[in-house]
Amino acid sequence: MEDPDTKKPRSTPRNVDDVISLVIPYVTDARDRASASLVNPTWLRADSETREHVTMALCYASSPDRLSHRFPNLRSIKLKGKPRAAMFNLIPENWGGFVTPWVNEIALSMGRIRSVHFRRMIVSDLDLDVLARARLDELEVLKLDKCLGFSTDGLLTVVKHCRKIKTLLMDDSSFLEKDGKWLHELALHNTSLEVLNFYMTELTKLSPRDLATIAKNCHRTLVSAKVGDFDMLKLARFFNAAVNLEEFRGGALNEDPEKPDKYTKLTFPPKLSRLGLTYLGANEMPIIFPFAAQIRKLDLLYALLETNDHCKLIRKCPNLEVLETRNVIGDKGLEALAQYCKKLKRLRIERGEEDEGGLVTQRGLTALAQGCKELEYMAVYVTDVTNECLRTIGAHLKNLRDFRLVLLDQEERIIVADLPLDNGVRSLLMGCEKLRRFALYLRPGGLTDVGLGYIGRYSPNVRWMLLGYVGETDEGLVEFSRGGCCPKLQKLEMRGCCFSERAIAAAVMELPSLRYLWVQGYRASMTGEDLRVMSRPYWNIELIQARRVPEVDERGEVGEVEHPAHILAYYSLAGQRTDCPPTVRVLREL
Amino acid sequence: MSKVTTELDFFGLDKNQTNNAPKPKFKKTLDRRRSFREMQGAISKIDPEIIKSLLASGANRSESSTRSLSVPSTPKEDHPQIPSSPVHVPLSRPSMELVSGTVPMTIFYNGTVSVFQVSPNKAEDILKVAKETTPEKNKSMEKDLSVIPPTTLRSKLFDKNLEGDLPIARRKSLQRFLEKRKER
Repeated sequence: MEDPDTKKPRSTPRNVDDVISLVIPYVTDARDRASASLVNPTWLRADSETREHVTMALCYASSPDRLSHRFPNLRSIKLKGKPRAAMFNLIPENWGGFVTPWVNEIALSMGRIRSVHFRRMIVSDLDLDVLARARLDELEVLKLDKCLGFSTDGLLTVVKHCRKIKTLLMDDSSFLEKDGKWLHELALHNTSLEVLNFYMTELTKLSPRDLATIAKNCHRTLVSAKVGDFDMLKLARFFNAAVNLEEFRGGALNEDPEKPDKYTKLTFPPKLSRLGLTYLGANEMPIIFPFAAQIRKLDLLYALLETNDHCKLIRKCPNLEVLETRNVIGDKGLEALAQYCKKLKRLRIERGEEDEGGLVTQRGLTALAQGCKELEYMAVYVTDVTNECLRTIGAHLKNLRDFRLVLLDQEERIIVADLPLDNGVRSLLMGCEKLRRFALYLRPGGLTDVGLGYIGRYSPNVRWMLLGYVGETDEGLVEFSRGGCCPKLQKLEMRGCCFSERAIAAAVMELPSLRYLWVQGYRASMTGEDLRVMSRPYWNIELIQARRVPEVDERGEVGEVEHPAHILAYYSLAGQRTDCPPTVRVLREL
Repeated sequence: MSKVTTELDFFGLDKNQTNNAPKPKFKKTLDRRRSFREMQGAISKIDPEIIKSLLASGANRSESSTRSLSVPSTPKEDHPQIPSSPVHVPLSRPSMELVSGTVPMTIFYNGTVSVFQVSPNKAEDILKVAKETTPEKNKSMEKDLSVIPPTTLRSKLFDKNLEGDLPIARRKSLQRFLEKRKER
């Protein structure tokens, strides 16, 4: 009989339990692992001891000690804190998601950790210090993704102690910049850097010379650099040294009307295929034409291009697989994509300013659906849309896994004639069978209760949904959550809907896979009592109170914006939160 | 019973009502306030001492009267400002409906009508104090003070609430870029 404590696999497996210990290291999908771990204690142990990576979609779903006991040999963790809405300025900054207890646990009992990714969490310099000193040269990856609360002192500690770091990321994080020592320290000692990312940070004290030194020292390994807004001319040495660079985002192209050839002498690394140049304008565009044919990923979100510029550029990128831009691309730009970029897999069109012109409507989307059949991800802000257009998407884009549509609330000049979108949405959902993520943000009248019922009925594989201004009455939500509807829906976000607290709570009880709910804008009951309809074990219910937040408007005046209350509810094995700020109220059991 | 953190916006005290306040951002908010103002009269006849003591007993935190114009790194709590003399203010915005535990309370006093958002406990306090004040005041208050169930008011508030109170939010990173773009 096999000794259950022996991890060494036998050459001739004697029973099923022996087999699983050989097989399970090859099972990497988290869902498969979860299923395997339910079979019996031996399988559970096999999974526990060999699990290498865990992603916690919400850090409050469990506790650090539970994590380390369940998976003692973890090498990599990804934790997410604040609700997604935080990226849109809707969540109080001090809401929570503190990394401290997790970092402490890593230091205490997770001795194999090599990769740490914190997303939308609160990180302090002390946390970084603890982590750095605990893992030292074994820490290979640190991603502080949309985090806040630390300073460059913390970064310096990490760089000083973790000499073999390969990925250092602080993308879109808010932190205090005291100096540029951390970059200098990297330049002095690191020879293994592969990914360096301080994109979307407001850093001003960094030296381009340090960056060039890093490129030189790590020229063999450095493949991705996303930097702040150094003027591109200052990065010339960096580009010359980073010979294996494949991805670059950032820099700043500061046009000078007296020097139209300012950037023409700039040369780029030979393997560059993923690119995003900040403030790229029509005048500078030609500098990327020489290698446009090899561009696979293009970020124009922070460029200054007009519709025609988009068309000119798109025409030169036949191998484009990923494009991110603003709606200034217009229908014309989408038609160009449909014609020239047959390999397009991911498209994100964000909402620009109204003065940019360029509108995306059913015209562009229809062309896109017919021309770019490989699309897997599509997120668009539109000013007009029709049922027919949605039907076309459902008919052509069979590989679509993630679809997000926002109907802009433009002023009266644009009338959306073809509402409600019930039938179009149904056709799209029926056609796109692989859909796993779905977002529909409309306006009153955009989708009836019947349409909402369609969403429930025809989303067999969808795991995440964002619904904004859909439905008409509580009846819609009843239809949406009826037996058999949304069987795999795990995370539901709703905004601006007309549903009552009671209907929301009742729907939650019907959705079999739901583990996370976020709602802003709903009909509250007299006392919040109706939320208790969804009271159940392990289900935490929190309210973010209605607030007034000072904001600076377009004219530079400080006014106050009203933020209606939010409901946040989620499953947790860790009990109720004890670290809430005053704006968050935990609904306690009676 | 869960602990109710009362949003003590007793008079719908709004920084926008002070002299130095900048204009409110959204026109809709402004319009809504005007229509409610039409429904109410001044509350200046009520003894200011009563108001002050009620606010002091119920207010969660005090706040300095000078308002800084810089955007704070952590959002401030919704603090009511304690006035030196009662200020005529309209009902706070309909989204107050969404704060659990508080309910509109309408007070008829001496020919004026005012509506406040209070919790049941606070309502009790108000009634108690009203009864405890001086005999002359006491008598007239007992005569005129009435609390009206909020049903009719509620339906109006709901309708207002559904008029797209929530503008489509923009991603922080994109917002920052668009602001920089204007400066170029």
